[in-house]
Amino acid sequence: MADLPSGFWAGWIVVITLVSVVALAWLVWSIYFGRDQHEESEVEPVWDNNLAEGHNPPPLWWFWLLFGAMIFSLIYLILFPGLGSNTGLLNWSQGKRVADSYGNFEATFADARAAVVDMDLLQIQGNAALMDTAERIYQRECAVCHGPEGRGQANLFPNLQDAEWQWGGLPEQIEQSLRGGRRANMIAWQSILSAEVIDDVAGYVMTLHEGGDADHPGKPLYEQNCAACHGVGGDGNEMLGASRLSDDIWLYGGDFTTIRETLLYGRTGQMPAFGERLDDFQIKLLVALLAR
Amino acid sequence: MNGLSLHRKIEEHTGLLIFGILFVSSIGGLVQLLPVLTQDSLATASANTRPYTAVELTGRDIYMRENCVVCHSQQVRPLIAEVERYGQYSRAGEFVYDRPFMWGSKRTGPDLHRIGGKYSDEWHRLHLLDPRAVVPTSIMPGYPWLDERLASETGNITSKLTVLRRLGHPYTDEEIANAEADLEGLTEMDALVVYLQMLGTGFSEEDAAMQGGAH
Ligand code: HEC
Repeated sequence: MADLPSGFWAGWIVVITLVSVVALAWLVWSIYFGRDQHEESEVEPVWDNNLAEGHNPPPLWWFWLLFGAMIFSLIYLILFPGLGSNTGLLNWSQGKRVADSYGNFEATFADARAAVVDMDLLQIQGNAALMDTAERIYQRECAVCHGPEGRGQANLFPNLQDAEWQWGGLPEQIEQSLRGGRRANMIAWQSILSAEVIDDVAGYVMTLHEGGDADHPGKPLYEQNCAACHGVGGDGNEMLGASRLSDDIWLYGGDFTTIRETLLYGRTGQMPAFGERLDDFQIKLLVALLAR
Repeated sequence: MNGLSLHRKIEEHTGLLIFGILFVSSIGGLVQLLPVLTQDSLATASANTRPYTAVELTGRDIYMRENCVVCHSQQVRPLIAEVERYGQYSRAGEFVYDRPFMWGSKRTGPDLHRIGGKYSDEWHRLHLLDPRAVVPTSIMPGYPWLDERLASETGNITSKLTVLRRLGHPYTDEEIANAEADLEGLTEMDALVVYLQMLGTGFSEEDAAMQGGAH
């Protein structure tokens, strides 16, 4: 229900509004047509010696303009809410307009959108119009973090164009990341390991993409502390979002200082959940776009 | 009497003229503002809307000080295009603890009423320090000094809460007593991000059931 004034204040609005319209109508009417002989015969006032004030009436079309505006406002008040608690003959409200728009949208597009949700990814990826739409959704929802081209940004938001998927690159895994969001949980090791141990581990991690330096003092420390999540060889674990360390692709940076920082303070990167913001159709299109 | 002789009379008596002008120009306010001020349903908080915490309020004051409102509105209008882009349209009951409200009237940047939860805290930090770091084409200015100032130095939070309580915001004694401690160690950036992250979270489905509310 529209949230309109009621009781005394509704009456107040109705009375003041209608009285104002009637008073205005009378004023305009009498200025044009109510001039009496008495007025005509009166001496016209003269200001500053020669500035005479005459009785030239304003042009008649002004009258029709003003009168028309009053008629319009009365018709408007009958059709739309405005007069106190009267909802108007059209029963219009802003909330209802949105609901109607959605009804209209559903009626027009629901079937076509549902059909896309049931299509398989290859089919969607082969359809230029659908991929255009997917690209637009990406630009609107994702580009601010992952960059306009999906190449990641700011050493914080992952590249979506490369082959590394921290949380998995299968369509189901991507969909899960989109719907539920992701929260990385790399522990801050500073309170657990000593600074020297952290330096050794960081040094060893830097060798992992070349297979790992077997003689490195950091190797046993890595295996003891890190391998549970990142794997002995540094292959990572998509279930945990533990990134692959055996390639040379780095989100936060692969230099010694940054890796050391990651170890010391941990990383808790966060991907927001889009399950409520986006509907099935939009998520399906994004998965198609990303899984290419 | 008719319009013209009335006109002449008013023209010749300044006191009458002043009264007439005041009377006519007050009509709009009498019809549009006065009844709304007395309409409880517009002054009742939405089910999920609560007063700002000390940190949020400080963030909000920084938002006001930096004049984010000249480029960002905080009102999602009831149109399908806006609801699709930003989320649920804004309801009157969500603004009852806004003094003054930050509705704004111009969108150089996007509306921010439903920005809460849309991005991570880290994104907001980067973006506020240097918008170009995350949106290469952005024309929004950077606010690097927010990271260097302490939130506790942004006005006296205890007296702010006390004044708001006098205006009817239900703060407890405890909240007011702890306000300064809450700001301890936070930068202005932290407070602003906390504020941004709570924006628009006061919406409840109950409001949705009460459609309309065109005022
Ligand atoms: C000169 C106008 C201007 C001012 C002042 C301004 N912004 Fe912006 N803002 C923009 C523009 C343009 C964008 C869109 C581009 C972008 O994301 O940077 C934007 C985007 C944003 C976004 C992201 C919105 C979204 O939905 O993607 C946030 C959050 C934001 N601004 C917050 C702020 C805050 C907080 C302040 C005050 C400290 C502020 N802005 C001041 C112009 C401005």
